[in-house]
Amino acid sequence: MTQSPTLSRRSASSTPPLPRKSRQRGTDARAGYTFLLPWLLGFIALTVGPMISSLYLSFTNYNLFEPPKWIGLDNYTTLFQDERFLQSVGVTVGYVVFGTPLKLAAALAVAMLLNSKRRGQGFYRSAFYAPSLIGASVSIAIVWKAMFGDSGPVDQGLSFFGINLGGWVGNPAMTMPMFILLTVWQFGAPMVIFLAGLKQIPGELYEAASMDGAGPVRKFFNITWPMLSPVIFFNLLMETIHAFQIFASAYIISNGEGGPAGSTLFYTLYLYLRGFSDFRMGYASAMAWLLVIVVGIITLIFFRTSKSWVHYSGDSR
Amino acid sequence: MINRRHFLTTVAIGTASAAALSACGNGSSSSGQTGSADKPVTINYTWWGNDDRAERTRKAIALFESKNPDIKVNGNFTDFAGYWQKRATEAAGGGLPDVMQWDLSYLRDYGQRNQLLDLGTVKINTDAFEKSLLPSGQIKGKQYGIPTSTNAFAVYYDPAKLSSLGIAEPTGKWTYKEFNEFLTQVGAKSNGALYGGTDYTGVWWMFNIWLRQNKIQAFTSEGKLGFSKDDLKKWWNLTANLRGTGTIIPEDRVTQLAPKSPFGSNATATEVTWDNFMAGYLGDSGAKELKLVPVPSDDPDNLGLFLKPSMLMVASAKTKFKDAAARFIDFMVNDPEVGQIFKTSRGVPASKTQRDGTTFEGTDKLVVDYEKSIEKYLKDAPEPPIVGFGTLEASFKRIASDLNYGKLTIDGAADAWFKEAEDLIKQNA
Repeated sequence: MTQSPTLSRRSASSTPPLPRKSRQRGTDARAGYTFLLPWLLGFIALTVGPMISSLYLSFTNYNLFEPPKWIGLDNYTTLFQDERFLQSVGVTVGYVVFGTPLKLAAALAVAMLLNSKRRGQGFYRSAFYAPSLIGASVSIAIVWKAMFGDSGPVDQGLSFFGINLGGWVGNPAMTMPMFILLTVWQFGAPMVIFLAGLKQIPGELYEAASMDGAGPVRKFFNITWPMLSPVIFFNLLMETIHAFQIFASAYIISNGEGGPAGSTLFYTLYLYLRGFSDFRMGYASAMAWLLVIVVGIITLIFFRTSKSWVHYSGDSR
Repeated sequence: MINRRHFLTTVAIGTASAAALSACGNGSSSSGQTGSADKPVTINYTWWGNDDRAERTRKAIALFESKNPDIKVNGNFTDFAGYWQKRATEAAGGGLPDVMQWDLSYLRDYGQRNQLLDLGTVKINTDAFEKSLLPSGQIKGKQYGIPTSTNAFAVYYDPAKLSSLGIAEPTGKWTYKEFNEFLTQVGAKSNGALYGGTDYTGVWWMFNIWLRQNKIQAFTSEGKLGFSKDDLKKWWNLTANLRGTGTIIPEDRVTQLAPKSPFGSNATATEVTWDNFMAGYLGDSGAKELKLVPVPSDDPDNLGLFLKPSMLMVASAKTKFKDAAARFIDFMVNDPEVGQIFKTSRGVPASKTQRDGTTFEGTDKLVVDYEKSIEKYLKDAPEPPIVGFGTLEASFKRIASDLNYGKLTIDGAADAWFKEAEDLIKQNA
C-alpha cells in the first residue's frame, strides 16, 4: 500500500510516454488514503496520541489532580526496588512461559484431529472454537471462579478420585495452574489458524512419504512441522504478546486485588492498581512503556531466531 | 501457500498494534456537564451503593424536587470500587458532579487538592450536629464534607450459634486476652465446624482503635505516621498464636468466600467491623438475630471508640450552582423525611433533627441502641486520614493476609507495610 506513491513517481519520471497511467495511480492512492482516513484519524487520536502522552507521563510524578511533575527516570529506577513489581513480573513470566506453549500444543493437536475428513467436522470446529470467543469475557471468569472454588465442580470431581486439593481460588499454589487451564481452554483462535495452515500443505507430500514408508511421527516432524512453521511462528508470536496482556480474568477472579498472597498479581493488573487505585499515573505509564519495550524485544528475538526454523515456500535459501 | 513478504507484513502490523494497545489504559471518559442557566437549574448528584440505596435516593430526590421546584437533580450511581475510578477521571478532566456522596478515606485526596467546595462558605445548617463530629469533615479549618450519618466499631455475634455450642453471650466488657479466649472457645467447642472469627488484627480501623486505647495517634497533623514499627509488631503479635488454628478462619477460606464476608457466610461466630453492616449481614447469613457489643480493650475506661461519618456529602469546587448544591446537601442531611426514607441504611443519621424525626424498628433499632450504649465511651472522631489513605488501608489488609498465609513473618510484614506507607507519604508530600 505504501509503495504505490513511490512507484507512480518513478514511472512518471522514467517513462514519460505513459502519463495517463501514472495519473491513474495517483488517484488510486488518493482514494486509498481517503478510505483509510477514518481509521488513520482514530489511530492517531486514540492510540498514537495517548501513547506519546503516556511516554511523557512516565517521566513524571502525576496523580491526576495536579499538573505532572518532571522527575526524569525515577519511576523506572524505583520499579526495580518495588517488591510488588518484581512479584508481578514473576507471575506474568510464569504464565507466559507455561501457558503459551501448552495452549499452542493443544491448538495444534486439535487442529490435526479436525483436519481429517470425517462426518460432522464443521460442528466440532465450531464447538472447539467457541471457548476462545467467550473465554476472555467477564462471565467466564466468574464461572471459572465458581468452578474452582471450595466444593465447586472441580474440587468435587477431584475428590471423587481421591485428590483433595480444596478450592483452587484461595490457594496461592493453585491459582497459576487455574489461569493456565483457562488460557489453554481458549485454544480455538490459534487452532483455526493452524487448521488453515494444515489445509495448505499439499497432500502429495504425505502420499510420497507414505510410499517411502514414513510413519505418522516421521511425517509430522519432516512434513507438517516445517511446512507449518510460518503459522506456528505467527501463533507463537501473537499468543505470547497476548499472554503478556492478561487482565480481565485476573481482575475478576482476584476481586481486583491480585491475591491470594499476590499469586495472581499479573503485570497489567498491578499497572492498573498503581494508576487507578493509587493515583500514580506516572508510575503506571512507566510500567506500560517497559512492557511495550520488553514485548518489542521479545518480538525481535523471535524474528531473529525464526530464520533457523521457519521455512517459507518459495525460499531458495 | 504462504508468501514470505506478505506474511511478515501481516505479522509486523499485528504485533505493532497489539503492543500499542497494551500501552493505553482504559481511561473511560465521562460526562461532567453542568446544568443549563435557564430555570430550573439542574444539578448532578452521584453516589455509590446497591439498588436498595438507589431506590431510596430516588425517593429523596423526588421529595426534594417537589419542595424546591426551581432545582432539578440529575442522579447517577455506581458501585464503590468503580466510583473512585470515575471520580478520578472526572477530576482530571475538571468535571466532577455538583454534589457527591463521599467517603472519609478520600476526603484529603480531593479536599487538599482543591477539588471540593468549602461548605463553610455556603448556607448549610449544622446546628443539629454533634460538635465532635464536624471536624472529621474538615481539613485545615475548611468544612469540605458534611456527615450524613455515623457508624461505630463493634463486635457482631450470632446468639443462636453461641447457644447451640453452649457458650455464654459476651457482655462486651473484655480485654484482648479474654476476647482471644472467647474466639478459641468457639473453635474448640464446634470441632472446627465454626471458626471463632477472622483475624481482627488485619482490620485497619481496629488497629486504629487499639492505638487510641494506648493513647497513640495514627497520623500526626502533618500527615506523618504517629505510631512506630514496634507498635505495629505488637499489634500483629496479639493473634500470633491463633493464626493457623481453629480459632481464626484460614486465609484461603476467606479468599474463597470473597466478596461475601466469612461472618455473612456463616463460617465464623463473630466479626469486628462497622455497626451499619447489620442489614447486609442479616441478608447474607439468613440469621434470625445478630447482636452487637463493644470491642475489647485492656483499659476498661478507654475503649478508643468514636463515631465516624459513614459517609459525607460534598460539592465540587467548580460547581456553577453553589446555592442549589448547598440547599440539596442541607436537605439530605437535615430533613426528617429523608431520615424516614433511609433509616439506618446510610448509618445512624448524624443530624439530631433528622434522627429525631426517624422511627427506628427491628434491626435499625439495634444499631441505634448500640450507638447509644457506647455514648459515654465515645471520643472525638479522628481527623480525615492522610492523602492516599485508601491505598494504605488496602495494603494493610493485604499484608495482614500474607501474614495469615504464612508468606511473611510479623517483622517482615511490619517492614513491608512501613516501606509502602513511607513511600506513599513521600510521594504525596
